[in-house]
Amino acid sequence: MNPVTRRWALAALGGFLLLLPLVGSRYVVYLTIHILLLAVNAVGFNLLFGYTGLLSFGQAGFYAVGAYTCARILLAWPSLLPGLVGGTAAAAAAAFVLGYLSVRHTRIYFAMLTLAFGMMIFSLAWKWRAVTGGDDGLVGVPRAPLELLGWTVPLPTVERYYYVVLVVAVVAIALMYRLVHSPLGLALRAVRDSEVRAGHVGLNVRVLRLVAFTVAGAYAGLAGALLPPLENTVTPPIAHWTASAEPVLATLLGGIRHFAGPLVGAFLLVAVKDVIVRFTVHWSLVLGAVVVVLVLGFRGGVASALEALLVRAQARPRGVSAPAGEEAP
Amino acid sequence: MRTVWIPVVVVCLLLAASWSAAGPVTCALGVPTIKLGVQGVASGPHADYGRQIEMGAQLAIEEINAAGGILGCRLEMRFMDDENRPAVGVRNARFLVTEWGAHFLYGTDSSGVAMALGPVLRELDRIQFFTHAATHRLTEELVAQQKIKQIVRVSAPVYQDAVAAWLFRDRRDVRRWATIGADYEYGYATWAIFREQMRRLRPDVEFVGAAWAPFLTTDFSPHIAAVMATNPDGIIATPWAGEAVTLLRQALLQGVFDRIKVWFQAMGGSVDVLEGISPEVKEGRFQGKLYATARYIHNWPNTETNRSFVSRFAKRWNRMPNYSAETTYSAVYITKAAVEKARSLQTDRVIAALQGMRIETPAGLRVFRSEDHQFVYAVPAGKVVWDPRYPIAVLGELKVFDPKDYWRWPPFRALELSK
Amino acid sequence: MEVLAYQGLIGLSSAMYLWLISAGLTIIFGVLGVLNFAHGSLFMLGAYLGYTLYGLAGFPFGLAVAASVGAVALLGAAVERGLLRPLYGLDPSYQLLLTFGLVLFLDDLAKLVWGGVFRIPPIPGWLQGAVVAFGRPFPHYNLFLMGVGLLVALGLWLAFDRTWWGRAVRATASDREMASALGIRTPAVFSSVFFLGSGLAALGGALSTPVRPVSPGVGAAMIVQAFIITVIGGLGNLRGAFVGSLLVGVLSSYGTLWFPEFELFFIFAIMAGVLLVRPQGLFAP
Repeated sequence: MNPVTRRWALAALGGFLLLLPLVGSRYVVYLTIHILLLAVNAVGFNLLFGYTGLLSFGQAGFYAVGAYTCARILLAWPSLLPGLVGGTAAAAAAAFVLGYLSVRHTRIYFAMLTLAFGMMIFSLAWKWRAVTGGDDGLVGVPRAPLELLGWTVPLPTVERYYYVVLVVAVVAIALMYRLVHSPLGLALRAVRDSEVRAGHVGLNVRVLRLVAFTVAGAYAGLAGALLPPLENTVTPPIAHWTASAEPVLATLLGGIRHFAGPLVGAFLLVAVKDVIVRFTVHWSLVLGAVVVVLVLGFRGGVASALEALLVRAQARPRGVSAPAGEEAP
Repeated sequence: MRTVWIPVVVVCLLLAASWSAAGPVTCALGVPTIKLGVQGVASGPHADYGRQIEMGAQLAIEEINAAGGILGCRLEMRFMDDENRPAVGVRNARFLVTEWGAHFLYGTDSSGVAMALGPVLRELDRIQFFTHAATHRLTEELVAQQKIKQIVRVSAPVYQDAVAAWLFRDRRDVRRWATIGADYEYGYATWAIFREQMRRLRPDVEFVGAAWAPFLTTDFSPHIAAVMATNPDGIIATPWAGEAVTLLRQALLQGVFDRIKVWFQAMGGSVDVLEGISPEVKEGRFQGKLYATARYIHNWPNTETNRSFVSRFAKRWNRMPNYSAETTYSAVYITKAAVEKARSLQTDRVIAALQGMRIETPAGLRVFRSEDHQFVYAVPAGKVVWDPRYPIAVLGELKVFDPKDYWRWPPFRALELSK
Repeated sequence: MEVLAYQGLIGLSSAMYLWLISAGLTIIFGVLGVLNFAHGSLFMLGAYLGYTLYGLAGFPFGLAVAASVGAVALLGAAVERGLLRPLYGLDPSYQLLLTFGLVLFLDDLAKLVWGGVFRIPPIPGWLQGAVVAFGRPFPHYNLFLMGVGLLVALGLWLAFDRTWWGRAVRATASDREMASALGIRTPAVFSSVFFLGSGLAALGGALSTPVRPVSPGVGAAMIVQAFIITVIGGLGNLRGAFVGSLLVGVLSSYGTLWFPEFELFFIFAIMAGVLLVRPQGLFAP
């Protein structure tokens, strides 16, 4: 995608997102918040999977740490920013500790470890009534006002909260973009492509993996922290390993080799499921079939397929086929 | 570029057509139809409860529409699966209200989903008539304390499960009680309320053992073995739906019914459980020692209202109505009564119309309790027996107790949920 | 004392059930390197077919079990040939994702076909009743399960150790390329292993129907247990899976007795612990 087209596309998207509460219904705004949360979660996951080559089935654990921490903070100190910062920091800390233990292993062992850790967090959330409210969860979490630099912005409506989420998500995604295009990003890709060679070139593979894991955990935690002010409740199922599948599926759908893949995938997963659910109870059947088809035929995900189409479309008028871009647009 | 315009024109025409077609006739309440949003578990091992909720609502709506609707307004329903997950339940509720335009909400099996829905209902300002979720916290905390007035519960809460204490009050031979409990709030609450009541009625009773089985347990044999090691006379068990059937099957195999005097299966009067254990009941393998209750049973009370409901339900759906079907059916009729009294669909007016309501339903007389928006009514407990008049096992030798005796009443003290 | 012994005996029969459900998963991972998320769904299909043939169609129990095992085994082999084989050269994550997609599909398909309500057939007459062990009744059903578990263990050992097929499988598991170079038809080996693993999953499912209602969620619930056993025993280590089942089955049983608040947490902590300290499993050779 050439830079000029890209900039127009991003501007159009940005404008649309800004104007959404004015043109869309409250439910659509609510749904978009969920898409943004999943986008942040998935973009963090893809740092780990697409860029570093580590498949984690435990991101829901960090999402839950972020959500529960934010909820507990908001219940004691109803101010949005401390909740968000606290939740993200707690999730990052948890990811650092568990990552330190996990990154020694790879592939299946790593995936299983993350699943086990995620489920340990789930068990804690389910049983530790004093802290997490047990299987009832934490109820009555306020949608606390945003207090910044002496200003207090109350957020009584979903639309107002949407703008907060939009800003936070955009900043987080932009930061991730910078990160993957930095030397660190290159190093991570080197580790993904060949651990042995990366080691020989002088990269500390374990440290790099730990960094990726911690960042991914922080992103999952941020997404989680944005949840309680929206729904006023946090319950254990958000930590279950089946919830960990969401960022995985979103990234797979959208394409792991593109930066925008997880973002496209997040939109698709939420929007498509929402539509399917209106027509049939059997959304799982459709989703499962889609996953199988994608894995077999379109491993690059929707983003790759779209890019291939775009390349072909752009190539025709010029008569010379432009080479497909090596990586992210 | 001309080709681009054609689809644009077509779309505009379609939109115009749909907007003009949407100039509906409105009824006395100023809406085209009254929209009822219904949620229940429609997937996983507890999927029948959501189905029953749907069937109960549908039957009520068909009957009311056939009789002219509510103040001349037709009813329309939409059912969604909450997958037993709070996040899904909340999202569905928002969709039903803000997108689909639901005027009232119904259903919800899981207490966790119910608790999550509470604050959202306040935000959306829509009443939900809860028809299964049993946690006392929904009404005692969210309504009585936090004043979320949009919550109304039509089904009997967890107080009903502890009626066992009253059922066995006079059984002097049953002194050692144990529990095989569901390892979450519902199980703890039932055991806590049961013990509280039992201590008052029978100070001579001992509580000798407890085993806790997490959600989705399929192998209860270690729990059964652990509890039987304490030599109990009576066992109260709270796993429900498919897990209840599993537990009872495995208990039979381990010869439990040779050794204990009574077994109380809290929600054993539920139709899916009775269907699952019918072969064993018919063969008498429970030796007359299995007792249960539910939140409504189809063979009580013996009123015209109940008998005709059951026969219409069985004819419509080819199954006996479960309690979640009856509670949802009654919830729709309660809505009708309230809306007719208020002559409005507005939340505040409808809640005002509910105050002091006493309404005849298939389960008997339901009385609205203002402090916590809970409809109070009696449900019997009895022995699980085979009665040839029915296609499946039923509860017989029924005993009915006054809710004044065994329900919790305001002012509510917090319940100590120690295991 | 008798209470402890009885609880241990119950634990042993639980262990044999756990062994039955994790043997197939272990074999498939050990030979193909595929962690089959859909193992739980195959278990569920075995249970549904067993229920349908025995509970609805009236076949004798043994025949129903055998038929459902055969059908699911064939399905497994077909899945391997059609869906997994194209992915063998790629990152194993894709295989994991494919099997996960299968779970979503199969679990919902079951709901479509059999409905959402749980199903349970009557228990076969010859499985009712109990023997007396340590002063308390020990069900025939549990004995039966223990017997089947031991038979399966024996059968698998014989198959892998003493038969030509077993040798081919072990060769393929240890070095795919060499085995192929030596003339072993590795694709056929893979399919046969998937056939076996799927059949074992279905066996567990079909055998469990008299005492466990089957519903669309049973696979998802069971797969986590199977994962835990497989990890503790060592991914791909069959003997380890057997011993791991014994460990988890018996410990859980005592846990229910002594620590009524026996936490789910500890089971996962053990799983994580094993992965951290001895990823090859507690019982690696």
